[in-house]
Amino acid sequence: MAPSKKKHANNKACVIPGGFTVLSLQFSASSAAQHKLYVKEHKVRAEKSSHRPLDRTLFVLNVPPYCAEHVVKRLFSQFGDVQSVELRDHPGSSKHLGPKLSRFFRPADKQGFKVGYIVFESPSSIAAAKSHPLSEPLVVSTEEHPVTTGVQKWIQQYTDSFVQPDHLQKIVDTFMEVHDKRKEEEAERQKREAELQQEDEEGWVKVTRGNKGTKARPHSEAANQKTLQKELRKKKRKELMNFYTWQHRNTQKEHIAELRKKFEEDKQRIALLRAQRKFRPY
Amino acid sequence: KSMDFSHEKEADKEYEAPIKAKRSKPEDAGGDELVYHPVKLSRSDLYRPPTAEELNQLKEAESLFHCSLLKMQMEELLKEVVLSERRKGQIDLFIHTVTKLLQTFSNSQEVEISDLSWLSGAVQVPFIMVPKTTKGKFHMAPPASVDLIGSYPLGTCTKPHVMVDLAVTIPADILHPKDALNQRYARKRALYLAGLAEHLISSSDIGTMHYSCLHGNRLRPVLLLRPPGKESSNFTVRVHACPPPGFFKPSRFHPQRNNIRTEWYTGLQTSQSESTEPPTPHYNSSILGDLLPRAHLQFLSAVSSQCPAFTDGVALLKVWLRQRELDQGTGCFNGFLASMLMAYLLTTHRISNTMTAYQLLRNSLNFLASTDLTVNGISLSKDSDSTPSLSEFHSAFQVVFVDPSGHLNMCADMTACTYKQLQHEASVSMQFWDNPTVDGFHSLLMTPKTMIRTSDHVFQLCELVKLQSSCKKLNLLSELMDYSGNYVHTALPYILSLLQQGLGQRIHLLTHSLPPDPEWSVESEAPKYKDQPPLSFGLLLRPELAVSVLERGPSADSPKAAEFRQLWGSRSELRRFQDGAITEAVLWDGEKICQKRLVPRQIITHLLLLHADIPESCVRYVGAIVPSTGEEEGLLVVQSFDDLSRKLWKLEGLPLSITSVQGAHPALRYTQVFPPLPLKLDYSFFDRDKISRSLMPKEGKPCPAYITPITVICHMEGSGKWPHDPLAIRHIRAAFHISLGELLISVINMHADPDGLLFRIQVAYHREPQVLRESVSLGGLQVVRDNEEAQALEMATIHKPLLTSTLHGIQQQHTCFGAVCRLAKRWLGAQLFSSDITEDTADLLVASLFLQPAPFTPPGSPQVGFLRFLHLLSSFDWRNSPLIVNLNNQLSVADYTEIKNDFMASRESLPVMFIATPKDKKISVWTKRAPSVQMLQRVVMVAAESLKVLEHQLMDSSQIQDVRVVFRPPLDVYDVLIHLNHKQVPLLNQAVDPPAVTFSRGILTDKSGASSGGALPVVDYNPVSLYLTELREAFGDLALFFCDPYGGTVITVLWKPKAFTPMPFKASARSVEVTGEVVNTLPNVEAILEDFKIIGNGLVKSVEVRSERWSI
Repeated sequence: MAPSKKKHANNKACVIPGGFTVLSLQFSASSAAQHKLYVKEHKVRAEKSSHRPLDRTLFVLNVPPYCAEHVVKRLFSQFGDVQSVELRDHPGSSKHLGPKLSRFFRPADKQGFKVGYIVFESPSSIAAAKSHPLSEPLVVSTEEHPVTTGVQKWIQQYTDSFVQPDHLQKIVDTFMEVHDKRKEEEAERQKREAELQQEDEEGWVKVTRGNKGTKARPHSEAANQKTLQKELRKKKRKELMNFYTWQHRNTQKEHIAELRKKFEEDKQRIALLRAQRKFRPY
Repeated sequence: KSMDFSHEKEADKEYEAPIKAKRSKPEDAGGDELVYHPVKLSRSDLYRPPTAEELNQLKEAESLFHCSLLKMQMEELLKEVVLSERRKGQIDLFIHTVTKLLQTFSNSQEVEISDLSWLSGAVQVPFIMVPKTTKGKFHMAPPASVDLIGSYPLGTCTKPHVMVDLAVTIPADILHPKDALNQRYARKRALYLAGLAEHLISSSDIGTMHYSCLHGNRLRPVLLLRPPGKESSNFTVRVHACPPPGFFKPSRFHPQRNNIRTEWYTGLQTSQSESTEPPTPHYNSSILGDLLPRAHLQFLSAVSSQCPAFTDGVALLKVWLRQRELDQGTGCFNGFLASMLMAYLLTTHRISNTMTAYQLLRNSLNFLASTDLTVNGISLSKDSDSTPSLSEFHSAFQVVFVDPSGHLNMCADMTACTYKQLQHEASVSMQFWDNPTVDGFHSLLMTPKTMIRTSDHVFQLCELVKLQSSCKKLNLLSELMDYSGNYVHTALPYILSLLQQGLGQRIHLLTHSLPPDPEWSVESEAPKYKDQPPLSFGLLLRPELAVSVLERGPSADSPKAAEFRQLWGSRSELRRFQDGAITEAVLWDGEKICQKRLVPRQIITHLLLLHADIPESCVRYVGAIVPSTGEEEGLLVVQSFDDLSRKLWKLEGLPLSITSVQGAHPALRYTQVFPPLPLKLDYSFFDRDKISRSLMPKEGKPCPAYITPITVICHMEGSGKWPHDPLAIRHIRAAFHISLGELLISVINMHADPDGLLFRIQVAYHREPQVLRESVSLGGLQVVRDNEEAQALEMATIHKPLLTSTLHGIQQQHTCFGAVCRLAKRWLGAQLFSSDITEDTADLLVASLFLQPAPFTPPGSPQVGFLRFLHLLSSFDWRNSPLIVNLNNQLSVADYTEIKNDFMASRESLPVMFIATPKDKKISVWTKRAPSVQMLQRVVMVAAESLKVLEHQLMDSSQIQDVRVVFRPPLDVYDVLIHLNHKQVPLLNQAVDPPAVTFSRGILTDKSGASSGGALPVVDYNPVSLYLTELREAFGDLALFFCDPYGGTVITVLWKPKAFTPMPFKASARSVEVTGEVVNTLPNVEAILEDFKIIGNGLVKSVEVRSERWSI
């Protein structure tokens, strides 16, 4: 435990260099040890996301694994109404790529220490949070709101892991419907673009800047490689190998050089083994 | 640069190849941390015009050896074993002193042999005087001459145990020509040695003095002298006493002559004349052996001077013999025989004088492998008229190799079994020598083959005194006389042939330990025969026949039936077989496979008791160290799976058809440590979920019994209908799971397997990993990039099923493969290495023992397999070589070279434990994540220690056999121990020392109870593993967590050393320390320890903090 913290153990907020305020957190009222949360207003130059409004978002470090989003929400409600809580493994911009997935298809959450972005309803809550004294710890599990961990939680997890087939089927069906629709649209678009590249009645082709659309040549890395190799092989076939005397002499020279190299490599390997005493038979 | 150059020059002199190389690092830099760096020769070096000499050198290396590496390795080995000049100087000096001392003593009074009063009592006579009466006179006199004999003057003396033989000639006036009779010469010789010892004991030039006897022959005691002080362990001088050359007529010692009279030996009056006395060939040869050493030395020197590589060749052969424990003890194939064998091959022109040491060794082994000296003996003698014929030798001895004089059989003491073992070793060596995929040098000369690690089963005869009664029972009086009362050696050949007969087809080979030469101080009496260490016997089993419980004999009326009955005694009974034949037969006990494995033990104890009067209590059988169970259960799982896969194949109505059904679980390759058992459930123990019709664990009750889901991968046929988007594929797969489930329920009305086993079927699409790898770059170019998700999927759906079916194949070939894997994995689990060496890795390691057993043969019992597994772990050079597991024999020689070269080229970036298989030559998928360097080091260390403890325990008859010793991990290295609540550890009964359990886990024990089927039991619910996962996710960057997955009740925690160095404040912090403006973070240990309890609430009993390493 860092001793320097003790100095701040009065009713004042503890602020450390870097602009973070230290909050203490304990699991239950009877816990002996405390975790430290580090909070700071969320300040990122390139934040465009509307999910984290700059003036109302609190950035929290070191959220223990047993604090789920709803728990964090409850803990921070004492500083003002919380609009949303986002817990992440690492700090970074929020991303919402791809369609929203049902829980069966989302990758499993890591249960480690997290960072959180707490969006309050009003900007004043941030100041309240930042001036919260270190000596008054936040309590995770209270009698009114118990947080389950350990065996209790695992039994719950096990119970929740059962999937109703028809429910799942419904999710799959809706997803596939959307997927198919998108597919169709895409096909449609490509077809349209292809049409654009066709000659019209007078023999004109309209050249556009946009997506290239379908192309005659296979357009992938593997295909590129293949063609390149084909060219090389062709070139090699045409080359004469043992035609001139110097060529012949060269191959012989290469052979000896090869042997020498091998010899030298072996010698070094031996020296290495000898150094490791690998030749003591007993 | 110049220093580097001079260093090079030195090395070059040895190889006479004038090439200079630039090395990236000087050789002698840093002890163990030497790293191989590929050599880079400069252009001018590589393309210099070659000299003729250099060309020859390169050519020879290329054609004679697989590569120049082997040649150099042999040269290096020879450098290690031959004596250094310094050592030789020490020896010469000491010999000089000893010789001088020996010349300086005075004559003593002539007395009767039995009168020992002339000895001062400071030394004892190294001889057991039985019977006591002896005629003849004896007195001491200075030796007629003192000469060096044996390997030292010949130059074939090798390290370790440098033995210099010194022959002291007893003056002729002490001996009498008739002394060859009735041990008189042998006694005089012993007295003479005692006299020498008494004379030398006062000298300060001599360190310690011991008696020993030559190759365990008590008729030939020797005096061992060691130099004083520091050099005492460097070498030993062995003083032999010899008669003057030609003192006795060699023809007296014809193998069919008698030189010990029964009357004298038994002390009873007999009416036997000399012609009817039984021959005493062994007694004769021991006296002959004293007569001839100088002649032998002359002969060998002559041969050696003809062939320049002779000494090196013999040295290599001696190393080979020593690694196989064949070079020491009674009836060994010692260095002298090795020299003689090579001399034989040279004089008969089977090898030429110009050959290299490598070729000499190879030809000698080839000769040994192809020649059976137990039937076709060989002789070095030129004239065959005046000497005994080979057939006469054969009738007296088991193995025949006659010396140049033609009178002495040099292999007189060797048993046929020892020679067979030698032959077996030679032929095994020849088999792998030519195999370029095997590291020939290492297997041939560097790997020790101890009996416990070579033989499938080992047993020991403990109380050797019991062999005395065996001699009586076997009626071996005249043989006992021939061996001068050495009942161990007398009975041994008969016991061996008895066992060989009884075990018959069940074994490939029966070997026995060679009784070591006893060594005792000159002040004490010669040890009794019964004080010898126990005799060990090794069996190399034929796995398919060894476990058969039936010994079918000849039909009742055949003449051989009597013989059969005689052999088996009361165990033999008449039986009628299904084919209608009525024959003699013996039926051994054994229902389960692990019991059947011990049928050889039943045979051995039965035969020894019946024929040799050796009670079962004297036989210490080391065959099955673990009462392995569960092999039948494993079989059941596989059968059940086959049944399921048939049903899956037959399914109709799926949108796409099933292309393959593959198991991906260790239980389906027989390597699951504890195969899943069918269980009957007590429904009242659980909560029930009505909708999914499944059982749920109940809070407040002990954790229900763990039910393993057996993973089955079901590949669906490829089709254009599969989407080309990873997410869509996953959704489609989910839909397949649903319809497969519905079909299974409706069509075959199956919820759980009828056998009570639980399978988990997973649908896979073979192109999915590929789709995951593909992505479209910004320019619209389709690129293929490997990623973790694709690898994980490929591992689960492609690699694992493939490995499972391949290893299943190995089990079909080698019946104990599964058992070895299970034992190995149990050990890894118990020693808390399960998360570092995964199940698949362990299975692969064990598979390599079966696929590339050189220099051994594939393990034939779980015990030997396990020992070799430990040896592989601890001795393999993980740093510098890849372990290549040639599954299905798919790798060619070129592949091996390619794998090795790739490995060397990018060693640093590859996993520390690199295992290559035919499908995975470059990446080592199984060991990519684990183990880390530190963990591998620890595994190696613990494996070496376990191996040492286990082998010692198995071979030391005074210890109780309890293998669990190596299954109890040392806990003192860990920082924190988390003790678990026994009730919440579902696999508690699998623990190494399972505690008594008084509570129920929801299992009905009585088999009859009808299970009211239908509901899905609690599957794959293990709080311990859930807890471990959470701990690792939360604190994986600070600490390592270990637990025995098989019923471990403690989780050990090791703080990572790096975790406690103060880190600059970053986003992932634990607690903060502020010093001025610098903010550092340290782990908040108190809170973390509390978190251990919080996260594992209900499971954790207590958290024990054992070290204060974090208090900085």
